[in-house]
Amino acid sequence: MNDLAVEFTGVTKQYKHFSLQNVNLELATGSIMGFVGANGAGKSTTIRILMGLIHQDSGAVKVLGHDMPADQAAAKRDIGFVSEDMRLYGPATVAWHMDFIRSIYPQWDKLYAEDLLRRFDIRKEQRVKGLSHGQRVKAALLLALARRPRLLVLDEPTTGLDPVARREVLAELTAVLADENRTILFSSHNTLDVEQISDQITFIDRGRIIDSANKEIFLDGWRRLRLMLPPNTAIPQLPGIVEVGGSSRLPVLTISHFEPAMVAACQQAGASVQAVDPMTLEEIFVVNVQNRREKAIA
Amino acid sequence: MNTYIVKRLIFKDWYLNRGMLLGALILGLGTTEAIAVARATTIAVIMGVIVLATIIIGMGAVIMSSPVNERKLQTLPFVMSLPISYIEYTTSKIVGSLLIFGALWLALVLGVVATILTTSWFPHGMIPFVVIMSVEMLASTCLIAAVSVTTESQGWMIGITQVGSLALNAVGFSIVRLPGIGGTMRGATVQWSSTSITILLVEFAVIVLIIAIAFIVQSRKRDFI
Repeated sequence: MNDLAVEFTGVTKQYKHFSLQNVNLELATGSIMGFVGANGAGKSTTIRILMGLIHQDSGAVKVLGHDMPADQAAAKRDIGFVSEDMRLYGPATVAWHMDFIRSIYPQWDKLYAEDLLRRFDIRKEQRVKGLSHGQRVKAALLLALARRPRLLVLDEPTTGLDPVARREVLAELTAVLADENRTILFSSHNTLDVEQISDQITFIDRGRIIDSANKEIFLDGWRRLRLMLPPNTAIPQLPGIVEVGGSSRLPVLTISHFEPAMVAACQQAGASVQAVDPMTLEEIFVVNVQNRREKAIA
Repeated sequence: MNTYIVKRLIFKDWYLNRGMLLGALILGLGTTEAIAVARATTIAVIMGVIVLATIIIGMGAVIMSSPVNERKLQTLPFVMSLPISYIEYTTSKIVGSLLIFGALWLALVLGVVATILTTSWFPHGMIPFVVIMSVEMLASTCLIAAVSVTTESQGWMIGITQVGSLALNAVGFSIVRLPGIGGTMRGATVQWSSTSITILLVEFAVIVLIIAIAFIVQSRKRDFI
């Protein structure tokens, strides 16, 4: 049995002003991947290819064992999809939407749907056009979750929400995720959201996957070393230095593969280590992107 | 082809349009009744025909704009997240729109024909002309459906609706001059000449051709959202 829920191999897609280049991506069954990129980086294009809504120019895409886009109808029986640009039918009620989805998905879990209604504080008699944006996002999540999908694909579901609604949606989503053992791909340009719910992180920039690893590897491996150098002392040569900032006397090294032994190596080189600061996912993402862009220009 | 889900999607569109359809049906049948009651007042008949034509063309445009609205109102990602292929989506849109519009169209056409047949002062010879013009409206509506589903563009749809309206006038003025149609229009009995049957067959052939082209174009698409 294939234990990969999603597998992209050498996928390309060419547009006039944008191209997705040689995307290789693996999402293991049962994992939660945060897919992070700036606006226009290629997140939605990748996800639309995953859903079979866009045909790749070359490369292979397998989702839950199905070749995409050829077997998209079969694959989508087990996928729950919510995207930032997805809307429900305004004149219809939430209850109508629930009945509609239930009529299509035999695995629809009525009790779970009722539970989600309570947790999301949505009245099912209400028309969708009368819901706030946050409630609409929650209603779309409910419709995706209660069909009990094996793969949940969330394309920037928190975009456009006010801070309170965003927190509510994430809190509910986190609670739901804690109950479930399903594969999830969660895209966002907001690294705080991704950091909160993901166990794997993939960065995409300008149509290329620039890094992909376990979240703990990112958070444990990236550090900022704040040094103090005596006059006429060179910056220690350490592996994995991505960026050198600060001043010549008080340099700040950004390191992608930090190990505690590096502190001793700095001291041996004559530097005084003032601090070893952990980095947030946002800082890691920004440095990673800038570094790749600089390399591409060079 | 997953016919079950295609049916569900058609039923969805029927449900979402049901209020408007009912209103159009009541207005249309009320208008035919008003024409019958007007008792040969030329201006009343002309007004009634204009109202009926407006209902059919207008409702055709509204119903056939469903694919454009799915994109404009951003419900297309929701529909396409369901376990369907794009050809199944296309089938639901074209077949569904034609069934939904066809039900209204058939009810109004039958209402008009019944009014003509049951009203003593109306020349029954009008019926072939009325049927040909009604099928022409159906063909125009099919063209709008095909353009709507293949382009998903409001601009294209508005343009093709205007072309359809102009074509309706052109067809009306043209066929009324044909002896096989215009010559028998004022008669007391219905006469299906070879001219009127040929025109009807051509209209149905055009409808089939439009639908076939729409499916061919859709099957060659690579990007759907």
